[in-house]
Amino acid sequence: MGESKKKSSMVLIFLAWLVVGVPFAWGVYHTLLNSMELFRPAQTHGGPK
Amino acid sequence: MRDSIPYLTPQEHLGKVEPSLLDRERSIAPPGYSRWLVPPAALAIHLCIGQVYSFSVFKIPLTQLLGVNKSLPSDWKQTQVAWIFSLAIVMLGLSAAVFGRWLEKAGPRKAMFAAAVCFALGFYVSYLGVVTHQLWLIYVGFGVIGGTGLGLGYISPVSTLIKWFPDRPGLATGMAIMGFGGGALIGSPLGIQLMTHFRSTQDTGVGKTFLVMGTLYFLLMMFGVFTIRVPRKDWKPDNWTPSVKPQAFVTTHKVDVDTAFRTKQFWLLWIVLCTNVTAGIGILEQASPMIQELFKGTIVPVAAGGFVGLLSLFNMAGRFLWSTASDYIGRKQTYYVFFVLGAVLYLVLPRTGGDHLNSVILFVCIAAILISVYGGGFATIPAYLRDLFGTYHVSAIHGRLLTAWSVAGVLGPVLVNYMRDYQLQHGVDSAGAYQTVLVVMSGLLMVGFTANLLVRPVEQKYWLRSASEYTGPDLEPQRSH
Repeated sequence: MGESKKKSSMVLIFLAWLVVGVPFAWGVYHTLLNSMELFRPAQTHGGPK
Repeated sequence: MRDSIPYLTPQEHLGKVEPSLLDRERSIAPPGYSRWLVPPAALAIHLCIGQVYSFSVFKIPLTQLLGVNKSLPSDWKQTQVAWIFSLAIVMLGLSAAVFGRWLEKAGPRKAMFAAAVCFALGFYVSYLGVVTHQLWLIYVGFGVIGGTGLGLGYISPVSTLIKWFPDRPGLATGMAIMGFGGGALIGSPLGIQLMTHFRSTQDTGVGKTFLVMGTLYFLLMMFGVFTIRVPRKDWKPDNWTPSVKPQAFVTTHKVDVDTAFRTKQFWLLWIVLCTNVTAGIGILEQASPMIQELFKGTIVPVAAGGFVGLLSLFNMAGRFLWSTASDYIGRKQTYYVFFVLGAVLYLVLPRTGGDHLNSVILFVCIAAILISVYGGGFATIPAYLRDLFGTYHVSAIHGRLLTAWSVAGVLGPVLVNYMRDYQLQHGVDSAGAYQTVLVVMSGLLMVGFTANLLVRPVEQKYWLRSASEYTGPDLEPQRSH
């Protein structure tokens, strides 16, 4: 007799990826925001408001 | 002797002993368990421990614990605080090398649990160091205890991932080690936002930030601990059959960690990793001043900060993309690409500056490729080790190889700073000083290229000959009752 083979549900796999994906995406988003400074014209930095 | 049991409890005599929740036996995957649940478990660990690369956000606040808004004479100096990070990285290499063999026996769950406890405890002890203003407590906490957690956490999911993805070992380890790069992207804004939240007129907020981060990281790491599963013996992916065509560099045999340590292949890969990392750290260390000096008046400090952020994204992406590519083009060929591409681009990089081509875009693109190669070197090495030595002790062998990282962590910055200072003292302008540094980095990559060229399959005399020589987890226990 073959052993019962209960497959992991897709929802469980999705949730597992969500647990690590959300903080990861948050970090990437913040880094991208900071990176945008590189493409800003130089004269906009440090000027009096 | 290793298999002898010096003492048996009454339960063991009756055969009723229950393995602990953390034991390898309790983490064996049931039939039907999806292997796609394993990378998130590994990522949960690496995303946390990767925080170490964002430790610099605490540097200034730690020097203002007493003055809060400014450093007082009795506050710690930046040079003293810098030792915390160095200590953590040294401990990473040492603990990975020392505990690798234990990890192979204990299994990934127990090792990941130990990593989580050490990493969180490091934050808590550092909290005590902050509130009592005792720097040695932070050295012990974040540096020694936390650093031990880094080493354990870094190597613990590697062999498990390789066993779950025998068809794509590069992709599997790339996913996890990409997480280590991604950890800095989370740790930096998290640390800054928590310090801002806890900051008051009498408190920099660092202590409470350590407490919260330790707890959050511990919880996320526990998700990894209880999600990780090792495949059952003889498990293989559906619809996958191992290649019957022998591949020169992919062994079907097994080499244990102590034997691997004595092979020339191990030391050639040690040089491969060390040269690749040294060259990469050289550019990472100097990224911000380099772009400002090569493009004087065009790139201001804030923009240079953005450039460093962009590099960290490419460092992370390179880890995944290059190691995945290595599954298709082969590990040795991937490192050839790293070394040739790197050597050429290091020579071209200073030519993009204001005195030559004056192209910021070209400079950024080349630096991004170089840093992706640096990350790719880290992520591809476990699969290279697996190809040469088999999966049997791959985490432990990887752990010992990481001492190359510790050496490169010192060698890279020292080499770059010393050579640059020497140039400046001899009248070379600041932009020109980089040229010599980058030529030396290019030469260093040629050393790595040669080491890679000399790598040959491991000789038969090093293979484990029979099952009786096995002491590790791949086999059922060989006990003589």
